[in-house]
Amino acid sequence: MKNFEPEIVAFCCHYCAYTAADMAGSKRISYPSNVKIIRIPCTGKVDAIHIMKALEKGADGVYVAGCLEGDCHFKNGNTRARYRVEHVQKYLEELGWEPERVAMINMSAGMGEFFARTALEFTQKIKQLGPNPIKIINTDKNQKAVS
Amino acid sequence: MQKLKNIQENKSNGRSVLVIGGGVGGIRAALDLAESRRNVILIDKSYSIGGLMTQLDRTFPTNNCDLCTVSPHLSENTRQIHLDLKPMTQLEQLTGETGNFEATLVTEPRYIDIDKCTACGECHKHFPEAVRFTPGLDPRAPTCMRYPQATPYAFSIDMEKVGDIEALQKVCKADAIIPDDMQKKITVEAASVVLSVGAELFDPAVLDNFGSGQFDNVVTGLEYERIMSASGPFQGDLVRVSDKKQPKKVAWIQCVGSRGINKADVPYCSGVCCMYALKEAIVTKERFAESIETTIFYMDMRTYGKDYELYLNRAKNDYGVKMIRSRPHSIIENSETKNLSITYAVEEEALQKTEDFDMVVLSTGFRIPETTIDLANRLGIELNPHNFAKTDHFNPVVTSKPGVYVCGVVESPKDIPETMVQASAAASMAASDLPAIMDVPESENDFMPERDVSGEEPKIGVFICDCGLEIGGVVDVDKMVEFSGTMPHVVVSQAVGYGCSSDSMAMIEASIKTNNLNRVVIGGCSPRTHETKFQDLVRRAGLNKYLVEIVNLRDQNTWAHMGQPREALDKAFKLLGIGISGVCKSRPLMDQTLPMNQNALVVGGGVTGMTAALQLAGQGIKVYLVERSPALGGLAKSIRKTIEGDDVRPFMNQLIDDVSANENIQVLTRSIIVDHSGIPGRFKTGIQTGPRMNYMQLDHGVTILATGALPNRPDVYGLGTHNSIVTQLELEALIENDPKKIKAMNQVVMIQCAGSREPDNPNCSRICCQTAIKNALRIHAIDPDIQIFILYRDIRTYGFQEDYYREARNLGVNFIKFSLDNKPEVWVENDRISVFVDDVILGRKIQIETDYLALSTGMIADDETTEDLSMMFHLPRTSDHYFLEDHVKLRPVDMSVRGFFIAGTTHSPKTIRESITQAYAAAGRAQTLLAKKEINLGAAVAKVDSSKCAACLICIRACPFSIPFINEDGYSYIDPAKCQGCGICAADCPAKAIQLLAFEDDQIMAKLDGLFGGLN
Repeated sequence: MKNFEPEIVAFCCHYCAYTAADMAGSKRISYPSNVKIIRIPCTGKVDAIHIMKALEKGADGVYVAGCLEGDCHFKNGNTRARYRVEHVQKYLEELGWEPERVAMINMSAGMGEFFARTALEFTQKIKQLGPNPIKIINTDKNQKAVS
Repeated sequence: MQKLKNIQENKSNGRSVLVIGGGVGGIRAALDLAESRRNVILIDKSYSIGGLMTQLDRTFPTNNCDLCTVSPHLSENTRQIHLDLKPMTQLEQLTGETGNFEATLVTEPRYIDIDKCTACGECHKHFPEAVRFTPGLDPRAPTCMRYPQATPYAFSIDMEKVGDIEALQKVCKADAIIPDDMQKKITVEAASVVLSVGAELFDPAVLDNFGSGQFDNVVTGLEYERIMSASGPFQGDLVRVSDKKQPKKVAWIQCVGSRGINKADVPYCSGVCCMYALKEAIVTKERFAESIETTIFYMDMRTYGKDYELYLNRAKNDYGVKMIRSRPHSIIENSETKNLSITYAVEEEALQKTEDFDMVVLSTGFRIPETTIDLANRLGIELNPHNFAKTDHFNPVVTSKPGVYVCGVVESPKDIPETMVQASAAASMAASDLPAIMDVPESENDFMPERDVSGEEPKIGVFICDCGLEIGGVVDVDKMVEFSGTMPHVVVSQAVGYGCSSDSMAMIEASIKTNNLNRVVIGGCSPRTHETKFQDLVRRAGLNKYLVEIVNLRDQNTWAHMGQPREALDKAFKLLGIGISGVCKSRPLMDQTLPMNQNALVVGGGVTGMTAALQLAGQGIKVYLVERSPALGGLAKSIRKTIEGDDVRPFMNQLIDDVSANENIQVLTRSIIVDHSGIPGRFKTGIQTGPRMNYMQLDHGVTILATGALPNRPDVYGLGTHNSIVTQLELEALIENDPKKIKAMNQVVMIQCAGSREPDNPNCSRICCQTAIKNALRIHAIDPDIQIFILYRDIRTYGFQEDYYREARNLGVNFIKFSLDNKPEVWVENDRISVFVDDVILGRKIQIETDYLALSTGMIADDETTEDLSMMFHLPRTSDHYFLEDHVKLRPVDMSVRGFFIAGTTHSPKTIRESITQAYAAAGRAQTLLAKKEINLGAAVAKVDSSKCAACLICIRACPFSIPFINEDGYSYIDPAKCQGCGICAADCPAKAIQLLAFEDDQIMAKLDGLFGGLN
């Protein structure tokens, strides 16, 4: 797993995080290409099931990026998202997974540099954690099947 | 093929505004008017609109490609039923007066019927010599279309160069050639006129010292833009003209033909060249090679715009652009290598240095051409001594002739954001000569009916933009096309060049129809900027607008990963997978609408807020003007005179009287905003008002923020420790109130950038250089014997302010330069003030004893206010606490939340005139919303599936806006007209009975499937 390139899903709210990602691009600030953004109107829309399904389908890490606390365009969508992320983290812990595979990050629309920095930090963290356990199981199965 | 409708019949019953000049300013003015349901005639002498901006490679400070940023604006034109675009047309004569002008327009023959032309290019292939336009250095001059997104999209023929007309007619399959096309003259009625003809750039070939036009590798700033441009002569390769090799060392020489007193020079500053030279230097390093050495020779770096100082710092610190303060006399070419040597004086050492460069760029500024002087005569407007339009003392868009307004560079040199602000202001003023907006009835505008796609299997068309080199230069478009073609349900997959250009749009529209597509994926730039455009496109093609998905291949891929093309391609595949898989689950949706509240809230009762309030009130709009202090007036009340010598006080008193007397304005002083709710077009804002702080709720459709900035009072240079160490504002008050005290002085010292352009407050305060010079001139007028010293870092007297700087120097005001790492020191001993400063010319520290020390402290954002309001209204701020507009270039007064606008110093430091312009602009932009009777809420609303709802009340508790309720049938109901579309209820619903339309769970799952398609 030396050259492990994780697959990371970032659920970004339209008003802040998605705009910040565009801002990073327009300032030509680089961040790991591992991060793939799925745009949602508000992080409050992100359901625990979305995060879990992303992990089930093969994501090595998932983060939800919304507006700064107190700045949510829908009042408290981002604080609700934080609760849900924390809930998923506990659930992962019960499963014996690393809870750090999921995270909640807050930023404003103007924080392009911050977007890039957190994308890098999260990717580095997932690299340290290694691949999604499901993928390892699947690979093992495949290998067994082959042998 | 998109066509401009000729809607002459629409126009006959309503009066129009005539906009002359279709550059970016004219387009903005015309669009603002059309969006406010005003009829506009936009004429341009060229065969397609866009002006100078379309020739630029990228624009500062975002370094975006201009074509992409301007093209949505250009094609917006084609949607407007109130807009009549007349290319190749000039004004011959204007008679009559405000409200009742008669304009005679002359249209040159195009020899092509633009309604028939499909822009296939066959005529050009066979008759390449019939070409009129050569952008920059382009030797190929591929077409008469100046750039791929040309509007209107049609060729134009130079008939004199066509030998065989019959052969030309045969070549055209569309039968669009009109060989006997003739000049047409028409007369139109106009209530008012907006002049936005821009200016030319100075041609340095008339100077013999820089070798422009003689030396291959000496180019102008615009020519350098063309060389770097993907649509330029070298297809976007940065190469020298002489040997087509990439240069290793490039130099820029600033102020060529500007700020000079020599033959062919103009005395004013062109205001934009410092920024464009920085931009060109940064882009050179960023796009071509980090190793290319870039050097800028300058007199003063004038980065006075919002956040522009940060751009300068980035250029110096992050990109290593070399800055040399020197004005080289000449360039000498080595006849063999074609290299160029520049000899320049080194500031710190008393010697001259000679250095060789591979390329030299001459930063040339704006000039008013003879044709504009002639046009001004025909319009009957006066010009200033520099031949720019002469304007009102306190309103830069008002000319000497009533009913004729002006915007953009023809008023004074300026950059694109300022042009946009003036354009919106001029449009707003021009509209005030028409019947009030509230009295204009609304007309219907319908597209063709939507095709019913229910029950059909997805048939997807994938269209991938290369965006010039922005996408195609990093990842292989063909590979993406090939990849997309292998995805399920994709029946069409193809590259479209610039997807937002008119021809590509027409091609996509045709493809949707001929292939009977029912889903569309566009791989291009951000949906934030271009989604509406492509939604309109699929709508025109008969599809519901929610059946298109935009995949962000540029802003979130090739721009961010330009250094890792392999990774970028892999990511592009995955993003396309997400988009294609997701669009399969898209459903046709209906937009929700609600009636618009046509009142306006203006926050801040300074000069900006009052001006905006009056302008809106004049249109019959009810305005609430909320001011926290007990009286109107703001910071401008403490300013006495402008640099031009105009009295501010009578003007302010008049303004306050007008506002107080206006029936449509309710002034609420001693009022603070305490709560806010609602949606754009239907806001509710709670205030506490009056001495007793009574609560009051205001209903309004739009909000203009004009809360101003604060005078800065930093703890520097002994400010506050001595009575004679003061700010410029205090000095100005003394000049006004106690000239005797000034007369008693022998020496006055001023220190610039006190507390600005420093690490903890990095931006330039913009106003201080002209304030210092204004006060210096006034002191000199009181007593010419007073010695005045201005200690500065760069003098930033942009535009015509340069005249006052020159006057001050001529009158003997001493200007001494210092640097950030060697600032002056102030000593107070026995009540005497001494200033120590290094004099570069003398090469030693000098001591100036002074009677009075004025510090140019400038402005600072009102952090507390902007923080409170940004929390309340959910608006972003800049790092130095000013409000952050939606787009620094194209939407400089609009905020990211619809219905919010900013103006004045709450946006960034600026003069009274500039604040007033922005106030008119914000009022104009607000009218584009208020002119509509309905608000479109979009379709992203939550919907309850009653068969799954258990009436558990979780959604009722979860909704931040208290919208859901249990209806008489016993299940949850969410009113689509009230739903804000956040989707919080959908996420919380345990039965999954709620779906947020356009973001349904199966769509999100499908997107994840698209991303991990290869893994599961």
